[in-house]
Amino acid sequence: MKTKLILSGVVLLVGTGYGAAVLAQAKPDVLVKQRQSAMTLIGKYFGPIAGMPSGKAPYNAETVIRNAGYLDVLSKMPWDGFVDSTKDEKTRALPAVFTDSAKFKEGGDRLQSTIAQLVKVSKGGDEAAVKAAIADVGKTCGGCHENFRAK
Amino acid sequence: MMLKVQATLLLMSLVGAVPAVLAQGSAQGDIKRGEYLSKAAGCLGCHTDEKKGAVNYAGGRALKTPFGTFYGPNITPHPEAGIGKWSEADFARALREGKRPDGANYFPAFPYPSFTGMTDADVRDLWAYLRTLPASAQASRPHDVGFPYNIRFAVTFWKALFFTPGPFTPDPKASETINRGAYLTTALGHCGECHTPRNSMGGPRKERFLAGGKGPEGKDIPNLTPAKLKKKWGDKDLADFLSSGVTPDGDVPAEAMGEVIRNTTGLLTPADLAAMIAYLRSLPAIDDEKK
Repeated sequence: MKTKLILSGVVLLVGTGYGAAVLAQAKPDVLVKQRQSAMTLIGKYFGPIAGMPSGKAPYNAETVIRNAGYLDVLSKMPWDGFVDSTKDEKTRALPAVFTDSAKFKEGGDRLQSTIAQLVKVSKGGDEAAVKAAIADVGKTCGGCHENFRAK
Repeated sequence: MMLKVQATLLLMSLVGAVPAVLAQGSAQGDIKRGEYLSKAAGCLGCHTDEKKGAVNYAGGRALKTPFGTFYGPNITPHPEAGIGKWSEADFARALREGKRPDGANYFPAFPYPSFTGMTDADVRDLWAYLRTLPASAQASRPHDVGFPYNIRFAVTFWKALFFTPGPFTPDPKASETINRGAYLTTALGHCGECHTPRNSMGGPRKERFLAGGKGPEGKDIPNLTPAKLKKKWGDKDLADFLSSGVTPDGDVPAEAMGEVIRNTTGLLTPADLAAMIAYLRSLPAIDDEKK
């Protein structure tokens, strides 16, 4: 009887341990807010350099280096917010995010790799290469929006 | 014998090339204006492959539709692979009537229902520009369209139902700016090819003109009428978006539009872009359809 009690105590403790991990998971609406915040900040730091390849914004190598550095970190952030628990939240994320998650992950990975490439060339000082890398990032954003974000 | 064949071939290609040279000298087309028109009409997107290093206007781009996949053909002046043997009249007939030089129908994946509105001067200048492109020998890829949509003759019926040939007619009650915008939007820019939803036969639903819905590749397309068109945005925001490809918040549209911005709207003169926006603002507001 005593052993049983102790055992169930242990089970309860272990259970609480696991429970804590589950509790640490944010609520769906907060997860959405967090991933949207990351996207918003990506917009904040991509916007000023996005017009440089076409000449709509004046080219500034320093700005590119700084923003590319920020984007490098930011572009890693949104993805763990796209979990199944957020499926029913009212957002512009299309169902394909959850039904075609392999392709969605591919899109997120591509964003990170195109930004990593931008970080690399931005330090090299070759303006044409930097502009091409910025344009690639823009296409990657848009390519994913096309399939996974409602208009 | 072999030599004779080769000589004939050589002669043929020479003959093919001669009109191209002549056309440049004799036609009144303004090449610079034509180059601008090629951008305003968005020719590049469908007539150039997506892969890196693809030759401009040499064809190969896939357009997926519910009816099958169409591939933009080579429109460089190459006599065999391109349209080097065409006359200006052939070109005008293609744009205005949707007909090949041999009289067969084009599939309406080629937006002649829009281009039919082009003015004579614009057709001539665009032709003059296309003649100056470097000829590419890249063969046009056959369309990948299943039965019964692969029957070119059937397009005759489609045309009877949905195609209204004829030049753009300005609205006498609208301003010159709005009419210019209407011409840019409908005849050249062919915005409605994606932004006007289609019925099950691929015909435009005119009662929902530019009101968005499902696009040719089955994706959601935004409503451009004043019911939706970025209500929060002023004309300047909209012009900036259509010229730079980013919103004031740094957001980027779907790549289908991103490409249109890079190839077309971003290359328009500020006056033309403003005219286009003025025209869109003047459209009757049509609410989104319930899903």
